[in-house]
Amino acid sequence: MRAAFGSLLNATRAELFKGFRKRRLYVLAGLYWLLLPVVALIVAAVLDHNLTGTFADQNGQITQVVQGFASPFGLARLALMAPALMSPTAYIIAVALFAGLYLGEERSQHMWKTVLAVQPARMAVLAGKVVAGMVLLGVLLGGALATSTLGGALGTLFLPTSFAGPWGQVAALFALQWAQLLAALLLAYLLVFLVRSGTLGIIMVIFLPALLEGLYTVLNTLSVLRPLTRFNAVFQALQLKQAWDALPRYFFNPNLYAPARHLLQPFLQSTGTPQGADLGPLSGLLGRGITLGHAAAVMAGYALVFGALTAWLLARRDVE
Amino acid sequence: MTAITASGLTKRYGRVLAVDGLSFHIDPGEIVGFLGPNGAGKTTTLRMLAGLVRPSRGRCQVLERPVPGASLRQVGTMIEEPSFYPYLSGRANLRHAALLHGGVTERRIDEVLAFVRMEQAAEKRVRAYSQGMRQRLALARALLWEPRVLLLDEPTNGLDPAGIAEVREALRKVADGGVTVLISSHILPEIERLVERILAVDKGVLRFDGPLQGLLGAAGVGGFDYELEATDGDALLSALSDMGLEPARHGESGARVAVPQARAPELLAGLAARGVMVLEARRGSATLEDAYLRLVGAEGRPS
Repeated sequence: MRAAFGSLLNATRAELFKGFRKRRLYVLAGLYWLLLPVVALIVAAVLDHNLTGTFADQNGQITQVVQGFASPFGLARLALMAPALMSPTAYIIAVALFAGLYLGEERSQHMWKTVLAVQPARMAVLAGKVVAGMVLLGVLLGGALATSTLGGALGTLFLPTSFAGPWGQVAALFALQWAQLLAALLLAYLLVFLVRSGTLGIIMVIFLPALLEGLYTVLNTLSVLRPLTRFNAVFQALQLKQAWDALPRYFFNPNLYAPARHLLQPFLQSTGTPQGADLGPLSGLLGRGITLGHAAAVMAGYALVFGALTAWLLARRDVE
Repeated sequence: MTAITASGLTKRYGRVLAVDGLSFHIDPGEIVGFLGPNGAGKTTTLRMLAGLVRPSRGRCQVLERPVPGASLRQVGTMIEEPSFYPYLSGRANLRHAALLHGGVTERRIDEVLAFVRMEQAAEKRVRAYSQGMRQRLALARALLWEPRVLLLDEPTNGLDPAGIAEVREALRKVADGGVTVLISSHILPEIERLVERILAVDKGVLRFDGPLQGLLGAAGVGGFDYELEATDGDALLSALSDMGLEPARHGESGARVAVPQARAPELLAGLAARGVMVLEARRGSATLEDAYLRLVGAEGRPS
């Protein structure tokens, strides 16, 4: 047990040593940590300078808007939420890059034979890669929280903003989002390892979940439009229609990004949109009423399955 | 105590039988040459011993513990083409391996870099290394944690003659320290100078296992090759045939002939007794290359 832990520690240290020497990590961190606060502060400054005191600023609305996205809390919230609203999301891009670094590169540089000859404990090597990937994701998210807060603090010097806001909630959501990215990281590792190609694996992790979820939507639309189809007939016969309808609650993407997108709901409510309202295309973004607890449980399940499959593949595969 | 044991080691890839029931054992401190033509199963065997490939049948042990297992931490390997992270320097690649293995100090990294004479290039990125530099760095990495067993697959590939000699001397020093070395190479003169024992495989089957001299004898080359020059070439060939040898004409008045070691002393006296005036006689000993080619065939394929 002690030897296994020692091997895991060694593998993690080695992978971090390698990871922190990759330029792409710094490019990604630079974009994530600096671009967002800088753009937000510039937009806030322009709004504040041009609109404060004008007809658009009734009852101090401009000040409220600026506080909403350019205050220390507003920027921290934006740093968590914005990457999850992109397409593909910045989170999955980061995960794919780390999978490329930690698994894809071992294949493209023929390093598996070296890595596993140096450290023969395969499970320790895999666990080290997972821990290192999670540490790097933690650095990215933690850094985003820190730099956005710092940016917001700088903004208080020239904008009508304050530090007010539910900091505990946003910090907890950052932590939960980070934890849930484990499932995405393991999926990326699994796909890169399974298809034996870093590039194909990365492409698959970015698009495969969305593709499958899109396919479901198409099938569902067909079965809704036509009362009896070969699809819903089978489901009706097997009494699986209920399960089929409940399936979106277990989809990968809505559950994965539930913590970050959770912050979108109070924002929508502030615009007067009632909770549970049909938001059309936006409903997918909001996770169709998925609670944080449900999302965490679903992602834990995904992580378990993807982790077990990856470990099984690595344990049995010959290294050429 | 044995350093390496293979018992009925077999590896099958679909219909292809790469290694077929290989059994041998190597004692601690032995330097063993692993010979065979391309595709004979050498690399697959080394991969199985290194725990990278699972045998289809049979088993192997390193330091009397099953592979894969904890004893592999005491094994240094160079399997086929050396691989590195190209964006890291030579030293950083060694540091990565040191961290991954554990228990390796920065001082040890300096030692192995000095051992393979790579101190000057240590800070360069590996992508700028020549093939020879990569080979040296791979050897340094294999030695990093002071292994008790070294599995080396073509370690002198791509090295110039001076580099080959340096690697040979380095391996000799390592072996003098009690490290067991199993080395495969196509540069047979180097193997001949380095090893005491030969394992020869072909088509996945062990064809020979024994001391170097034994292979020379087993292949029927336990003698000398003579190049003779005489006043009368025809008389020379006739006399050699008369002595029961199989000469081949060499130039106008010369011949080449293989003479068994026991009959070498009587060669010149026998020719003189038959009235042949020998002008020049040059003797060369039979080489591992000769023995190897006779074992596996002149094309490097089985005879």
